[in-house]
Amino acid sequence: MSENIINLKIDGKDISVKKGTTILDAARANGIEIPTLCHSEYVKAYGACGLCLVEGENMPKLMRACSTVAGDGMVINTMSPRVVRARKIALELIMSDHDGDCKAPCTKACPANTDCQGYVGLIANGEYKKAVEVIKEALPLPASIGRICPHPCEKECRRHIIEEPISIAQLKFFAADKDLAGDTYIPEIAEDTGKRVAIIGGGPGGLSAAYFLRRKGHSVKVYDKMPQMGGMLRYGIPQYRLPKNILDKEVALIENMGVELINNVRIGESISFEQIRKENDAVIVAVGAWKSMKMRVKGEEQEGVFGGIDFLRNVILGEKPEIGDMVAVCGGGNTAMDACRTAVRLGAKKVYVIYRRTRNEMPAEDIEIKEAEEEGVIYKFLTNPVEFTGENGRVNGVKLQIMELGEPDASGRRSPVPVEGKFESIELDSVIMAIGQGSDLTGIDGLDLTKKGTISADENSFVTSQEGVFAIGDVINRGAGIAISAIGHAKKAAIAVDAYLNGVDICYKEPYYSERVVTRESFPNVSEVSRVKMSQLSPEERKHNFDEVVRGYTEEEAQREAHRCLGCGCHDYYDCKLIKLANNYDIDPARFAGEKKTGYVNKNDFIERDVNKCILCGLCVRACSEVMNITAIGLVGRGFKTVVSPAFALPLDKTNCNACGLCVQLCPTGALQERSLLAKQVPVKEKPEKITCTECDKNCTVAVSYVGGKVARVIPADKQSLNCVLGRQELIERISKKLSDAK
Amino acid sequence: MIDMKIAVGQGSCGIAAGAGKVYAALAEQGLGSVLTKTGCIGMCFLEPIVDIYGDDGQLKRLVKVGEADAEKIAKYVKEGDEEAVKSLEISPEDSEFLTKQTRIALRNCGIINPENIDEYIARGGYSAIDKALDMTPEQVIDIIKTSGLAGRGGAGFPTWFKWNAARQSVSDTKYIICNADEGDPGAFMDRAVIESDPHNLIEGMLIGAYAIGAKEAVVYVRAEYPLAIERLTNAIAQAKEKGYLGQNILGKGFSCEMRIKAGAGAFVCGEETALIESLEGQRGMPRLKPPFPAQSGYWNEPSNINNVETFANVAWIITNGGEAFAAMGNDNGKGTKVFALTGKVKRGGLVEIPMGKTLRDVIFDIGGGMRSDKAFKAVQLGGPSGGCIPAALIDTVIDYKSLSATGAIMGSGGMVVMDESTCMVGMARFFLDFTTKESCGKCVHCRIGTKRMMEILDRICRGEGKQGDIELLEELCVSIKDGALCGLGQTAPNPVLTTIKYFRNEYEAHIDDKKCPAGECVDLISYSIDPEKCRGCTLCAKKCPVSAIEGTVKQPHKIDTEKCIKCGNCKAVCKFSAVVCE
Repeated sequence: MSENIINLKIDGKDISVKKGTTILDAARANGIEIPTLCHSEYVKAYGACGLCLVEGENMPKLMRACSTVAGDGMVINTMSPRVVRARKIALELIMSDHDGDCKAPCTKACPANTDCQGYVGLIANGEYKKAVEVIKEALPLPASIGRICPHPCEKECRRHIIEEPISIAQLKFFAADKDLAGDTYIPEIAEDTGKRVAIIGGGPGGLSAAYFLRRKGHSVKVYDKMPQMGGMLRYGIPQYRLPKNILDKEVALIENMGVELINNVRIGESISFEQIRKENDAVIVAVGAWKSMKMRVKGEEQEGVFGGIDFLRNVILGEKPEIGDMVAVCGGGNTAMDACRTAVRLGAKKVYVIYRRTRNEMPAEDIEIKEAEEEGVIYKFLTNPVEFTGENGRVNGVKLQIMELGEPDASGRRSPVPVEGKFESIELDSVIMAIGQGSDLTGIDGLDLTKKGTISADENSFVTSQEGVFAIGDVINRGAGIAISAIGHAKKAAIAVDAYLNGVDICYKEPYYSERVVTRESFPNVSEVSRVKMSQLSPEERKHNFDEVVRGYTEEEAQREAHRCLGCGCHDYYDCKLIKLANNYDIDPARFAGEKKTGYVNKNDFIERDVNKCILCGLCVRACSEVMNITAIGLVGRGFKTVVSPAFALPLDKTNCNACGLCVQLCPTGALQERSLLAKQVPVKEKPEKITCTECDKNCTVAVSYVGGKVARVIPADKQSLNCVLGRQELIERISKKLSDAK
Repeated sequence: MIDMKIAVGQGSCGIAAGAGKVYAALAEQGLGSVLTKTGCIGMCFLEPIVDIYGDDGQLKRLVKVGEADAEKIAKYVKEGDEEAVKSLEISPEDSEFLTKQTRIALRNCGIINPENIDEYIARGGYSAIDKALDMTPEQVIDIIKTSGLAGRGGAGFPTWFKWNAARQSVSDTKYIICNADEGDPGAFMDRAVIESDPHNLIEGMLIGAYAIGAKEAVVYVRAEYPLAIERLTNAIAQAKEKGYLGQNILGKGFSCEMRIKAGAGAFVCGEETALIESLEGQRGMPRLKPPFPAQSGYWNEPSNINNVETFANVAWIITNGGEAFAAMGNDNGKGTKVFALTGKVKRGGLVEIPMGKTLRDVIFDIGGGMRSDKAFKAVQLGGPSGGCIPAALIDTVIDYKSLSATGAIMGSGGMVVMDESTCMVGMARFFLDFTTKESCGKCVHCRIGTKRMMEILDRICRGEGKQGDIELLEELCVSIKDGALCGLGQTAPNPVLTTIKYFRNEYEAHIDDKKCPAGECVDLISYSIDPEKCRGCTLCAKKCPVSAIEGTVKQPHKIDTEKCIKCGNCKAVCKFSAVVCE
């Protein structure tokens, strides 16, 4: 053996490397990845991040693998408990001083974690197809969900700090409608795995689970007791909010992916639960909550008293429930709103909504409350039915207890208390009780239930008490929720079910995200721009029919609205090394919460620097001086107050920065970003394609990435192209023009 | 008039105490012909000091001399009136401060005029380089090896080993560098050596340069030491003129040039690789080791860096032999070490003693114990990188190993003595505040880790400490020691670790009971007046800077706690111990 070869052991593996090789390189060459945030082959070892620490046998100190030369006979452990502890603390410390949002608040607020910022940004750029692709990573029914979702995303939208949130949901169905009208997107489906999954219940949860599992290549059957798929989207949401032809198209897409949809099947009648379990490798129970709750009020068994969801279903099935002229709807939720507005459309003359609290406490969406009022609905706030009076077994009125608000209860809402001796009576022809829903588990036996009668399931893995049986949606734990929550369950459960089918035990884990606190002052350059109102039918136009109330956005309106997005989430999220490591090491930076460095954002035409996100790895500074010999930026200040900055805090375009982009390429976080060529900057996964530039005789390699059909970036991809003779601007212009022309 | 010499101690410390004015006043008395200056005598607590040498060589040492005393001195000098200066003479006890020391590195300090090379030569100066140049470099390194001299800057690394490594590195260009970036709060021995005996440093460096084969020597002095820079600049010029520096030194074929680089005041530049970065004109941030400077240092050439005190021993060792040096000390440390004794001790100053003595010897025997009647509590050794040693361990032997065993370090020799009135949490916070501010910001553990430790200590001292804070601090300490890039970060947790180790109950009192047992943390204390003891003398009310004390003469006074800023003036001035601090 040559004298120039040394032997060592890393993580139990015998390794031979050339003398002079660092431990980091020796490990990498043998497939052992040692993390680092400050090391790159472009520049000299630096040793700042403290993540490449490794432990050597019989060595008292931990060593930095990036700079320690491997010695003959060394025994190295790259993942010893001491090493892991040191790395974890290093990451926690870095994160405690890293001020930025990995993901936008809208995305985090969505129970299915739909990348709202991503698709809104794509819509702003006119990339509708790509927008739908992004949406369909999280939910398969965007045209339907976009119409009916109570959009928790919008509640969290930071734009409300400025004036009003972005119309995220409406933009979603704008893009989805475009997609349904044209060349519809169908996601890629993995090769058949031969595994079979049965899903009981074809509502938003069940259909979504089918969609996600089918994408993984599993064979999926969806059983549903109703004549058509869609569950509550079809039978619980009135036509005027969600036209069923839209739902039909979206269901058809799932069917086209190869999911088998079987309707009119009642479990325990045409097929037993046992048999379904036997025939399939996994079963997901997603039967929803289809039982209307009773109020336990005298007289509620009489004719003319309907359950809220039963009433809505019957109307959609084409039956004409006899509600008469005077109708009272009990409840303050969205179902109550759907019921009262449906009653109006059925021709009722007087429709009351009886609610024991006030308008402020109503759980229904504001817009629903308002639109119902516009359609003539009469609110009876602070009243509670004590008796439904009747004649000959048919309801003819209600006696209402007058209420007032008392102390706040556990939910924080002020609880209603009866005002002694005060009552009111109303004459009625019918009553619709929309006060809650329960599940009907007939035919589905053997699963542990909660006290509420729902299936008990783990909310990270969605496993139930029975092997191979998973449960999602309204039927589990807390019971009925919103459709997107059931879809969120489906998305997460699909991960667990897929893992289960592959014989591994993985469940969904909420990722760690960095998050910043903002105020109006955080947006000094953002001025007020009202949200673009979607045009809709007037109350007179809409109250006598079931036509869809909203008309949808025009392209111009949609783009204008989408441009309002503040772009909160980090534009480098998909390339960020820091967040990947942070999640790998299961960190808890809150332990070290404290002052953060105060930075600023500074940009030129190509590069955007956000000092708040900088972790001072020094790669940019070193690349700029060691590789490029430009030194446009340097380290300024000392200790905790150190920042990377151009000299005298000049803006970047006042330095000799030639925008080579090497600093951006090496930056392990989102502190340095390459501004994309798109009108609206948007973080999406990009796959750069390397091409040879023929603009001069140097034949450099440049990387081009597209977002949808547009060139988003042209980046030097080898060392010589960093000093492009054309200059950055010219290079981008020439190449993107050439590529667009070729298209 | 008797033939004599009057030396006024004019180190920075003496000048700060008024030695310059005393010197001028003496000159005005017509004593200019016998007046001379000397460097730091080492007894800070007695400055300004005037040493009068009789023609018989007998020394009369006058202390705490003021301008107004010049007349008395003149009277004594001109008329021989002993009585005139009687009250200024040093007491026998105070004299022990020097007589109990063994001075090697400081051997000329306070004795010679640092601005006069002839005085250095008269005391054997530049004979060691003469002797060394007759030996081979290897023989010189051997003598240093025999002496057991170790790095006095803090790390205690064997000097011969570094010299030998630099000697072995093959290159035409090598550098010898002196680290005079003395930055530890409470350490001032390096300044004293340069200000008081600059030629000793030059000679030590020359011997080192010869040993490793360097032709260029650089002294990296912090710019905050202007007098040191001035005297060293002067000394370099004189040495050059006399042929001790420059080409063909003493005609023996060895050449070496020397220059000074003034550092801009970053503590981290005391770390040798950060010092090199700074010398090269870069931001002072440590480099990764390896490669060590002996392999690739200043301008990527083999370089050797030693501290001032280390070099200050070298000429003596060459002259007297390695064995003579090694005869002092014990198995864990050879020779002497200089300590800068400060804090609540009665006699503070520079103390040079052989290794093997105990802390008690320094603090009580030489330092005279506590200044007040309060009990000795602890001593912080090694500055912000060191640790604190509690009273129970006062008999700890002074050598590298024994001190490290306590959790402290020898360090550069800062020794801050504390009594009962010092809050140990506050003390740890003070030193950590220093390292946090002096962190260069390069590595994560030091930059953010020390900052987070500071925040935790801040909240503990504010009375907002939480359960688990001590454990969190300990976790951070261990992790920073493991993960920090250089010595600054790796040792920064030491004051916190050792105070937790020895004074955990004080931390707990802050966190659990929201009390500061030493009564130092202002957010955790309040002042009140015991009406039984108060005689209504009104002194406290007069001294209160915010008029928070009310009361009429001969009636018990009262403190308005809303107004009180907890400065403690009232307690300090009360003659009846009526002011209570809880």
